[in-house]
Amino acid sequence: MRKISTIMAVVFSLMTGYSVQAQDDISPERKQAIDSLALEKVRDLSKYVSIIGNKSTPWSEANRVIDRAEELFMAGAEMGVSSLASPEVKYYNVRQYFERLMRLNYDRVEIEWFKIEYVSDLQRQPDGTYVGVITIFQKFSAYDKEGGLVYEDTTKKDITVYVKRKETQIGGRIIGFWDVLLGDIRVKETSK
Amino acid sequence: MMKKQSLLQTLKQFTLVLMIALVSLGGATGCKSKKKLAQEQAAAEYASKVELAKKDLNSILDGTAAWSLAEKEQRFQTIKSWNLEDTEVQSLLDKVEDKLAREKADLERKAEEERLRKEEEARLKAEANKYDAVENYFRSIAAAPDQATANEKIAGAMQLFATPDVPVLIIISQAGGFNDYDRPTTISKYLDYLKDQKIYNNRVQQVKYDANKRITELELIKK
Repeated sequence: MRKISTIMAVVFSLMTGYSVQAQDDISPERKQAIDSLALEKVRDLSKYVSIIGNKSTPWSEANRVIDRAEELFMAGAEMGVSSLASPEVKYYNVRQYFERLMRLNYDRVEIEWFKIEYVSDLQRQPDGTYVGVITIFQKFSAYDKEGGLVYEDTTKKDITVYVKRKETQIGGRIIGFWDVLLGDIRVKETSK
Repeated sequence: MMKKQSLLQTLKQFTLVLMIALVSLGGATGCKSKKKLAQEQAAAEYASKVELAKKDLNSILDGTAAWSLAEKEQRFQTIKSWNLEDTEVQSLLDKVEDKLAREKADLERKAEEERLRKEEEARLKAEANKYDAVENYFRSIAAAPDQATANEKIAGAMQLFATPDVPVLIIISQAGGFNDYDRPTTISKYLDYLKDQKIYNNRVQQVKYDANKRITELELIKK
């Protein structure tokens, strides 16, 4: 999944290479709304990650939040995990990643995402899907029971974002909506 | 002696007749000059009225009169009641009558516009307030200091909805009568979303109710 989506995003970016506005008929205002919606989903994920990782979050509540967080992703999406201790980046299915995050063997965990921004604008693909890449910086801090900091790193991650126009029927009428789904989250670099 | 008395009597009578004649003559002459004076006074008064009428009517026409419309109308009626036989005054009266009619119509139009504006303002206010119950719950869930408080608010909010699966649509943009939505969700998930994200940045756009006044569909729009 990771390799396929990475190749897809890169190949589409290279093939298209021009903006959505120039290529299809949606107005700049609508495009702006879609851009903001995708960024908002990443910010939502940021909050979910923080809640799941928080040791004071009750188990049932953390599981509920994992369900919500999982709904943000495409089926089969993977999350990259890195550590200062090893150059290797491990990839986990997002559900698996959240469950591991919930069970981290620390007494207190703080996870903060910042500098959430596009590195590659949403671009329309031939099948009508918009694909872009949003980068985030994650600061991970872990503490022991005495409150001492035992581990800390900052990781830059790239999130591939897919936005597709879909339709559904609600109350007897057809509703057209933009479905934002997150793809793989790849580790770009990890530092102290 | 008798002759002297008779002469004296005749002289008295003559004097009386003379006096009557003089009085009669003098009275007739005085009456004639009073009439003339009255005519002159009337003429002067008329001329003054004409001048005053012209002055007032012109000031109404050129807009320099610092009177309200009602005062101008009263002034117009007063001048008209003088029935002045002056062509210029008549012409000015016609013009002023037209002007006052226009001003009156304009004032009535403005009053009607103001009434409609206030009516619309009240309607919009009522419209904005009619979703207060829902909006207040959303805001209080997002601002809840802890999970227990948020859950309490969520339980309260759920009473407004027919089921936990009531659809929630969120408009992300509007253009040309066309709405773009986020992926539809349910009220149960949306309330949890507010609790988790701790932010409510939408507003209620439209609500559908069932016969029990419970909400069966909710449409929000991004602020």
